[in-house]
Amino acid sequence: MDRKQILEEGLLELYLLGELTPGDEAKIVDVLKSDADLRRIFGELESDFEHMALENGMEPPSSVREALEKEVSSPKVPVKTLSLPTEVKAKAPSKIRFLVAASLAALFALSSLWLYNNWQTADKNVRALEERSLDMEERLTTIEKNYNDTSNKLQKINDPNIVPLLLVGNEKLPEGRATAYVNHTTKEVFLNTKGLPAVENDKTYQLWADVDGVMIDMGIVPTNQELIAMQYIDNAESLNITIEPAGGSDHPTVENLVSNVYL
Amino acid sequence: MTNTPSDIELITKLRQGDKAVLLTLYDRYARALYGVILKMCKKEDLAQDLLQETFLKIWKKIDQYDADQGKFFTWSYRIAKNTTLNSLRKVSPLIQTDDLSVYANRDSEESAPKDFSQLNGTLKLLQPHHQRALTLVYFNGLTHREAHKEMNVPLGTFKSYIKQALKQMREHYGKMALSIIVCIILLANG
Repeated sequence: MDRKQILEEGLLELYLLGELTPGDEAKIVDVLKSDADLRRIFGELESDFEHMALENGMEPPSSVREALEKEVSSPKVPVKTLSLPTEVKAKAPSKIRFLVAASLAALFALSSLWLYNNWQTADKNVRALEERSLDMEERLTTIEKNYNDTSNKLQKINDPNIVPLLLVGNEKLPEGRATAYVNHTTKEVFLNTKGLPAVENDKTYQLWADVDGVMIDMGIVPTNQELIAMQYIDNAESLNITIEPAGGSDHPTVENLVSNVYL
Repeated sequence: MTNTPSDIELITKLRQGDKAVLLTLYDRYARALYGVILKMCKKEDLAQDLLQETFLKIWKKIDQYDADQGKFFTWSYRIAKNTTLNSLRKVSPLIQTDDLSVYANRDSEESAPKDFSQLNGTLKLLQPHHQRALTLVYFNGLTHREAHKEMNVPLGTFKSYIKQALKQMREHYGKMALSIIVCIILLANG
């Protein structure tokens, strides 16, 4: 930034009027310190503006000077004017409006927060309800399945063609009980083993049908079952339960017969 | 010959704690600054409060004044101008947010019943567009960029107006100063 540029661009006027950025202002100050001619030109410019201001000056009322004198005489260094300026007074409603606006904004913020919290709580409740609903649905499915099974079993054993037979334990298994449901029409056999005591791990119960003196396998008998389907054998004369090695046998161990019933 | 203290002498005293000096500076410059403030805000009661506020700021900030950077009046003028512009900006803080809106507000007030825009002295002798250009930047507080739009002329043209106006003022005040010097010499020679 040199003198030519400063003069051509009217930077001295802008500096005088306070229009320059702090950076440009600092540059002008530096140049003025080192350039006596420019400082003279700026001095003339200042004088001309001052003349113009003096020529266009207006006499302020004496009350301003009196107020200033009072302020200067007070021991406290002033920060603001003594009296509240009319414009400031006029601004009071604006301040009130601002306060009202600020209050409304705060209220709005609080309401939003409250609504947000409620929304979060509601959302949490909905999620919990959804989880419970899914759980209930699963339980309902299980119950329905169980109900269908039970209903199906009941239907089967309530069939008028069913012949219920009680298998009572002999002296080897006096406390043992089992119930067989035989349907000769549908050729089905069901067994309730709830009354059979558990056997050792390497043993199992097995059901046999006696047909003309030949014992025919009807299947392994698990314990603690309400209703288990067994193999139906035509022309069976009796049903027999033996205790066999785990996995069952091809031929019954007659000495281990624990119960039988005639059809 | 009267022994009128210079601005620098008064400022030195003020800095040393002589508070009464502020009133001397007030007597010297209040009229000029009041004219600037009143032309800018166009309200007498507001202008009076702003004038008082300006001098209180001068008092409070007197340590910041640097004579190497310009005359005391130039510094005081900037304080008066900024104080007034800030006050006008605060009139409607929820609506007005930038300088242009303040100026727009000021323009609307030009049609106020009482007219403080009357010009005197050398300024009155200039051509109307030169008068208008100087008034906008000096008495209305507009920047050059705002003022050229206000006059509806390019920025370059506006800057030329300012230069020409200042040149004419310089010539006029130069002649005035020369006339005063000649008178003093003639009076001294009896």
